[in-house]
Amino acid sequence: MKTIIEVRGATLQALFLIGFCIAMMVVDHRFQHLEIVRTNISLALSPLRYLVSLPATGGNWLNDWFTSHTELLEENESLKAEGRILSARLQKLEILAEENARLRNLLGSSRKIADEVIVAELLSVDQNPYSQLIEINKGSSDGVEMGHAVIDDFGIMGQVIHVNPQSATIILISDPEHAIPVQFIRSGTRSVAFGRGSTRQLELRYLPATADIMVDDELVTSGLGGRFPPDYPVARVTAISEDKVRGFVSVLAEPKARLDSSREVLVIKPRQ
Amino acid sequence: MSQLKYLVIYLSLLVALVLMILPLPDWVQIYRPNWIALTLIYWSMALPKRVGLWFAFFTGIILDTSLGTLLGQHTLPLLLIIYINLNLYQRIRVLALAQQAIYIFVLLLIDQVIVAWVEGILGRPTPLLTFFAAPFIGMLIWPWVFVILRDIRRKALLR
Repeated sequence: MKTIIEVRGATLQALFLIGFCIAMMVVDHRFQHLEIVRTNISLALSPLRYLVSLPATGGNWLNDWFTSHTELLEENESLKAEGRILSARLQKLEILAEENARLRNLLGSSRKIADEVIVAELLSVDQNPYSQLIEINKGSSDGVEMGHAVIDDFGIMGQVIHVNPQSATIILISDPEHAIPVQFIRSGTRSVAFGRGSTRQLELRYLPATADIMVDDELVTSGLGGRFPPDYPVARVTAISEDKVRGFVSVLAEPKARLDSSREVLVIKPRQ
Repeated sequence: MSQLKYLVIYLSLLVALVLMILPLPDWVQIYRPNWIALTLIYWSMALPKRVGLWFAFFTGIILDTSLGTLLGQHTLPLLLIIYINLNLYQRIRVLALAQQAIYIFVLLLIDQVIVAWVEGILGRPTPLLTFFAAPFIGMLIWPWVFVILRDIRRKALLR
């Protein structure tokens, strides 16, 4: 049987630990001090993460293995064709890039044209359905740093928020806590795109009612704020709604990047 | 040797952790029962002297790290339900499994609500109806969890 003293001891202990938890949550939310605890536990648990990602990896491998010969031939053929087209385009692009560099030199601006990238693969997706975090398999030992931008083949995906030696956590642009400075290609209007917790939607709030915006306008990063490199595609406008009372326009846009299905991502290292 | 047999507690929690972070399609996510809570409740019911609040605390921290949530977000509700359990286990242990399951539902719901509450404070929208799905599934699988862990405990000669 429990004695009164034992019960009271447990109550005190529970109160103490719960208070400690609350303090820890506040510290974790506002400051970076607990990052070291997180990093160490993550490192210790990394074998577990690989174990957990095995079924998906194994599935992919089996899928590749059983892809039939003819399919491979077809794919090879089409890839070759695509390669030819791309290399033709690249020649043109190189000329344009040179011309661009020359013109920029003339203008005296020192904007970089190519950024250095690190290729990474998706390790896991955050299990919490309300936040949008992903884990990639490159970390500080590969040169990934906090704040680096992450893209896939189609556009900006997000940025690095935690770095471990062998892995890194990415916050997607669709996370409700994330905002990215953008610019409309057509009109040049600058704004900020907020995440809404859905991988198919971003929101641009409080644009002036007079702003020149149309559905299907393309959004690129503006490079303001210094986090994201400029001129990467971000989203395409899908809906515009006007707040007649306050004279603002708010815009919904669909991210270009495949936030929920890309497996290979690129981490962009800003050049010094 | 006598300490070695307690390894099964850690192993069962490790399996629960794997089940917690195993990637699942989006629509299944909200039905994922809190395996860690179920396992911890079982052990604190069976071996309350050994599996208590500190155990819940460290398990919770590891869970928070692997889920990428705030440190303490899953730990706090775990502490609370283990505390409740430590006070009630003598009465609950003698109930039939179906009756226990209802008790488990309440504990899991408390856990879920606190986690969602913290999410709310952080400014992330939480659909209200999804609260009940995971605890409900947890309630349905409790009898199996109980029987499996009890057999493991008996094989390992833990009392």
